[in-house]
Amino acid sequence: MIKVNNLKRDFLQGQQRTQVLKGIDLAIEEGEFVAIMGPSGSGKSTLLQLLAGLDVPTDGDIQINNKFLNKMNEKERTIFRRKKLGFVFQNYQLLSTLTVEENIAFPLHADGKLTNEKSKMINALIHSVGLEGLNHKRANLLSGGQQQRVAIARALVNNPTVLLADEPTGNLDRAMAEEILGLFLKFHRQNKQTIVMVTHDIFAAGFADRIILFRDGVIDKVISRKDSDYAKYLANFMA
Amino acid sequence: MLSIWRISWRNITTNNKKRFFITLLAIILGTSFVTAMLVADKTTKDVFDYYEQMYVANADYWVLSDEHSYSEEMISSIQNDSAVTGTLLALDKQAFFELESDHSLNERSVRITGVNDQNSPLLKLPVIEGSLDNKGIVITEAVANLLGKKVGDTVRFTNMGEAKVSAIVEYTQLLASPSNWERAESTSFRILAPLDMLREWTGQYNEISYMRFQTKGDGEELFHSLQQSFLGSSVFIQPVVADDLQSNDIGGIYTFFYIIAGLSIFISGFIVFNMIYTSVIERKKEFAIMKSLGYTQSAVSKLVLIEMILLALIGTAIGVPLGIWFGDMFIQALLSVFEFDMVYTLNWELPTLVAIIIGFLYPIVFSLFPIYNAGKTSLLFTLKMANERDGSTRLHILRAVVGVGLLCFVFIDHPVTYAAVLASVILLFPLLLIGLSKIFTPILKSFFNYPGIMATKNLFQQINRNANTAAILAIGISVILLLGAVVESAPQGYEKEIRSTYGGDMRVTSELSWSAEDITKLLSYPAVTDVKPLAEAAPITWETVNEGKRQFSVISVSEDGPSLFADLQEKDLYKALTQKSTVLLGDRAFEEWGGNIGQSIRMNSPSGEQSFEVIGVVKTSHHSGYVAFMDATNLSNEFGWTNSFDLLLTVNSKAIDSTRDQLWSDFGNHLSKVQTVEDEVESTTSAISGMNELILVMLLIIIGLASIGTANTLLMNTYERKFEIGTMRALGFTKQQIRNMILAEGLLIGLSGVIGGIATGIVLIYVTSKSELMEGFISFQFPISNIILAMIAGVTLSLCAAWISSKTASKLDIQSSLKEG
Ligand SMILES: Nc1ncnc2c1ncn2[C@@H]1O[C@H](COP(=O)(O)OP(=O)(O)OP(=O)(O)O)[C@@H](O)[C@H]1O
Ligand SMILES: [Mg+2]
Repeated sequence: MIKVNNLKRDFLQGQQRTQVLKGIDLAIEEGEFVAIMGPSGSGKSTLLQLLAGLDVPTDGDIQINNKFLNKMNEKERTIFRRKKLGFVFQNYQLLSTLTVEENIAFPLHADGKLTNEKSKMINALIHSVGLEGLNHKRANLLSGGQQQRVAIARALVNNPTVLLADEPTGNLDRAMAEEILGLFLKFHRQNKQTIVMVTHDIFAAGFADRIILFRDGVIDKVISRKDSDYAKYLANFMA
Repeated sequence: MLSIWRISWRNITTNNKKRFFITLLAIILGTSFVTAMLVADKTTKDVFDYYEQMYVANADYWVLSDEHSYSEEMISSIQNDSAVTGTLLALDKQAFFELESDHSLNERSVRITGVNDQNSPLLKLPVIEGSLDNKGIVITEAVANLLGKKVGDTVRFTNMGEAKVSAIVEYTQLLASPSNWERAESTSFRILAPLDMLREWTGQYNEISYMRFQTKGDGEELFHSLQQSFLGSSVFIQPVVADDLQSNDIGGIYTFFYIIAGLSIFISGFIVFNMIYTSVIERKKEFAIMKSLGYTQSAVSKLVLIEMILLALIGTAIGVPLGIWFGDMFIQALLSVFEFDMVYTLNWELPTLVAIIIGFLYPIVFSLFPIYNAGKTSLLFTLKMANERDGSTRLHILRAVVGVGLLCFVFIDHPVTYAAVLASVILLFPLLLIGLSKIFTPILKSFFNYPGIMATKNLFQQINRNANTAAILAIGISVILLLGAVVESAPQGYEKEIRSTYGGDMRVTSELSWSAEDITKLLSYPAVTDVKPLAEAAPITWETVNEGKRQFSVISVSEDGPSLFADLQEKDLYKALTQKSTVLLGDRAFEEWGGNIGQSIRMNSPSGEQSFEVIGVVKTSHHSGYVAFMDATNLSNEFGWTNSFDLLLTVNSKAIDSTRDQLWSDFGNHLSKVQTVEDEVESTTSAISGMNELILVMLLIIIGLASIGTANTLLMNTYERKFEIGTMRALGFTKQQIRNMILAEGLLIGLSGVIGGIATGIVLIYVTSKSELMEGFISFQFPISNIILAMIAGVTLSLCAAWISSKTASKLDIQSSLKEG
């Protein structure tokens, strides 16, 4: 369960203070798949990084599983991140010196010893993202789609409370993007994985239960699959 | 034009401040080291020249005899010769200080030189206090301090008389004296007195030991006519030659320190290379853009060249003055190690000029290849290349094969072996680094956990650069270990040489030649088992093949005489020497002479100018090899030196001290020196042992310099991996884990550098100990204390170096790293 309360983030550029997030209130239920959309520069990535504890808010609260992220120090946030969160980046961010398996195992290694049980889980994950047989291949030798699969497996390896994804399909062609979104949906459905995904692509957003629209650092509109005008809205958007 | 300089300045200072400072530091250290050596070398040479010149003063010739003294009438014609502009008469006399404190005769022995004019231009005395009034004695400051005497105080001489101190002077060779009582046991004091006073004390009214004189022009004519007229007498004439090679071998020591200075230049040059090479690769994109904007290849190269020139200029501007200061400290250390009681003024002008040229040029020379490479940047350059792993597998195999091939030089006894071994170390280091990383993985894992494992993977990413960095550390350590082993085993080598060529246990020198009764008396000493005379003709002037004037002594040898040199064909040499006009040279004399065996050497003997065929070169401890040997019969008949003032005694080792005391009490009135093998060993080796500490300091400096290289490399690795480090942080590495990872990288580089260095050092020591060229001078050994110091310093300083990068890495901002990635 994620709760965001009056979240503000300002950036100082020289003398100039720009408000990127101007007071966001948001609640995401366990098992929900949320897409965040909005124009470039509206603060989507900023919100996601705050949720991941990669950044600290200027004001406001972020609660994940009743823990206040904004009250933790840097080290606590890092440890929370590797235990409870998963992050998928637009440009994959794999470690080029490591193999597929090592990349996936990295958050577990960072957290301590790798148990047998966890190794088995890594294998299962490799299987479920469709990378069988590539365990020992160096990550930077894979195609973009394959790399993003590795990134997803890596993000899920710690059984995260929430999977955060910033434009995970942004660098992929349509067919690849569809496969990746298929994976998201699979984990969402099978494992009740909570997912928060930033995207520019309404097609991708269509996979989500709820779409949050950003504009100038505030939430402009929220549309849920349950809403009566959901289908109409999507159709409008695509047109 | 001004703008390109400004652009370059901005490039080196703003892009990467830490790297700029580290590289600059390396240049400064390298330059200052070389400057220090140049300044110290020149100053030391000047000091010795100065003292030598002071000793020679304005004298052109001197007339001496192969007896203790001769009648003044022999030279009265010279004093009246119109070609002679000045003369100085001197009489030497052995005496003893009469002291309140309790000291043996041996310690109190003093040679008094009586001169007819203390103010003579043929005698230069650097007065500190008092005046040269020809009424009292002149002593050096060291002697004044030891005796506790001031100007005006009275000094008494046993059974002779007493005199007031009229002047205290600085160190000068003529008055070279021990500065402590320990040294006084084996060396006499020397003081100056008015000739008349000494004659009165000794009753030798018409006698002199030698006369020096100055001539108008070169005086060649007078010299030859005097040489003729002295034939058949005990008196002979020699030109005065400034040559102190017999008394010191300080030049040899500088060879040693220049090796270390060269090493430091090499290391800092490598750091410069690494830095500029990486900077060029990082900026390939920028260069590609410049080229697309119309910059030519040479304009791009020029931009980088100017950056390098700026760095070299700053490095020289700081390094050279710093080096002059280091040089000053270095001379002080060196002179104190060798117990030279000398005053010096720093001669920095010429060395500074040379140092400025070297300091300016070497950073540029080392960066030429990267600069050329920068200009070659292709327009179609893609950023991806920078991330590719350097070196293909095939290249690695080639490197390994060539490396192993070069290592085979170990079995060849040739100086080139050293270069081959060092080159092979550089080539083989990637393999070593990979191997050691694998071996150390479990240890790193238990110390640093997963960051330790990441460290090994990271090292492989830039294996060539990291291996080169470690190799440089290894080479620094190995060379110093070798030099350390040389210094450490040198005393043993010298001791061996001294004991095998001293010719007895004790050498006894007298002012008068030894009579048969004296020898009988000596043989009656219960501890003395053998007495052998030794004739040493000195000073003998001679000519190098380039007609340079030199001076040494010629010592008599014979098959049944004492063994004064070491050679495998000793017997044959003795036999060959019995031929007329033949001579053997000690190794240093041979080197200075510059000729080949079979050629002739020209000498001014007591019987005039003569040529001798050099029939061999031998090792000897006498005057550290700056000496010649001649058959005893030839020395007296052909060469014209008939007397022997030295005896070599074989003495029961338990009775050395009592024998020495007895000698002084029995022969005190003409004995001038009693020296034992032990004294000679002690005085030769104590200075070298003192050098051990200098070596340790050098070891630390070299490891420190190499660690600057490690810091630089790790910093570059860190900046290059900025995005990966950001990713690791995003994936849950804490700052501490990032720091540990980089510390582990530093530790691996440091450890492999140290281990590789020690292994290489041992190989070099082994090669040297087996080398025929060194004639077994050094024995194979593990220089344990140096190895331990290298380990501690190498690992600690590498960790310090890594700490700098670990700080930088842990401070990297995750978000910006991610955004740009
Ligand atoms: N570290 C920072 N310092 C200063 N300004 C920043 C920083 N990070 C983001 N911004 C600014 O905040 C605003 C929002 O950025 P953000 O990356 O959240 O936008 P976005 O909605 O993700 O846009 P896009 O769709 O282009 O990814 C932008 O104007 C950006 O310039
Ligand atoms: Mg964004």
